[in-house]
Amino acid sequence: MSLYPSYARPQSLAQAGTLLAGLSSGTVIIAGGQEIMPFINHGALMPDVYVDIGGLKELRGISAAEGWLSLGALTVHRELQTDPMVREHAPLLAFAATLAGGGRQVHNRATLGGNIVAQHPLYDMVPSLLALGAEIEIAREGETRRVTLADMMKDTSHGLGSEAILVRVHIPPQPKGAGWAYEKLKSSGGAYGSANAAAIVTQDAGTITSARLIIGAVADRPIDADAAVQMLIGQKLTPALAAQFEARCTTLVKEPLSDAQGSGDWRQAMAGLVARRALTAAIAGQA
Amino acid sequence: MDDIITQSALINWRINGKLHELEALPGVSMLDLLRDELNLTGTHMGCQTGHCGACTVMVDGRIVKSCLTQAVTLPRAVITTIEGLKAKDGTLNPVQQAFWDEAGFQCGYCAPGMLLSTMELLAENPNPSDDEIDVGLAGNLCRCTGYRSIVRAVKVAAAKQNELKQ
Repeated sequence: MSLYPSYARPQSLAQAGTLLAGLSSGTVIIAGGQEIMPFINHGALMPDVYVDIGGLKELRGISAAEGWLSLGALTVHRELQTDPMVREHAPLLAFAATLAGGGRQVHNRATLGGNIVAQHPLYDMVPSLLALGAEIEIAREGETRRVTLADMMKDTSHGLGSEAILVRVHIPPQPKGAGWAYEKLKSSGGAYGSANAAAIVTQDAGTITSARLIIGAVADRPIDADAAVQMLIGQKLTPALAAQFEARCTTLVKEPLSDAQGSGDWRQAMAGLVARRALTAAIAGQA
Repeated sequence: MDDIITQSALINWRINGKLHELEALPGVSMLDLLRDELNLTGTHMGCQTGHCGACTVMVDGRIVKSCLTQAVTLPRAVITTIEGLKAKDGTLNPVQQAFWDEAGFQCGYCAPGMLLSTMELLAENPNPSDDEIDVGLAGNLCRCTGYRSIVRAVKVAAAKQNELKQ
């Protein structure tokens, strides 16, 4: 904690790794700053050293190879919304980015990496990334490791540690012809969600063959609705089945959040609602 | 390795056409630097949490919230603040004029954010619908107008800009 923090802007990932390994716990990594600046502005966070990773080329760029999409951690939300490769390979992610809070100003500067490492339960990108089966690449002291995002999210604390850098996000090829949807309940355009759900569904002549559905903003961690999804496989979606699915999703929320976005009971009920809406929209939108 | 850790950073900002070489302290927001060091007080300090949008400025042609942007993280940038919108002779630009004509602000606190957000919106979408205006301005709060006169002002600004282009 320091009134006079210092600052470093490493020029390569290797340099950043060495630097972070030698620094104390009072170090804060900064890129877009959209997550941490409110805390700094109000004196709630007073780092000793800022390590600005905004200059690291390794963390930039969007590319596609063998069906995988690779997104640099410094990719901002506006790029996710508009980049043709993202829109083609992961339209769910491109769409979810349009519903992120804070308005265009924040979309222009908030990074994908920052959104993930913040592990904020109300943020919009992680449910879609989990539905897409995203993997993340983490660098720590010259060593790069690749893990599933789901594994990182299981970690109760930060998941990375202050000496690690999230380098890239990798999105695997999606099932051919899959439908997708992202549903978010919110009180105004720029607001946090009070419940959201991301879905990817495949079907064969109206019969559901596979589904991934993640519910966010209702609990401390996103909820994988796999237990509820099982009842859908091999079925045609009828209003009765959709209602059953909604009720089952509601029971998956064990400890709902209760905050300015709504009370716990309501959030639990809304979890089922957004799940049903996402499922229905993903099926309806399927090519 | 310690030699890259510094107590301050030199930044190079071209603000409203004028070049500034500044020494910025780590932790200081772009908002504070613009207002306190450069006296560009047209950029307003509202919430400092990123909700209100009164501190909006344009960086390299894109709007950002200056309270959420740490100055040192922008070593070089071309910046437009609200002071940079009007012409040298004081003529308002078409967006400003439309907000003036349509009472697009009352107290004016949110105006820097509304105007700059409208500039970016219209640069991408010359004929926005009501819904598209809502989305384009979602990062800005107004506590006076109820937004209807703002939406009207954006439409008038769009029409004026399209007319000028012809």
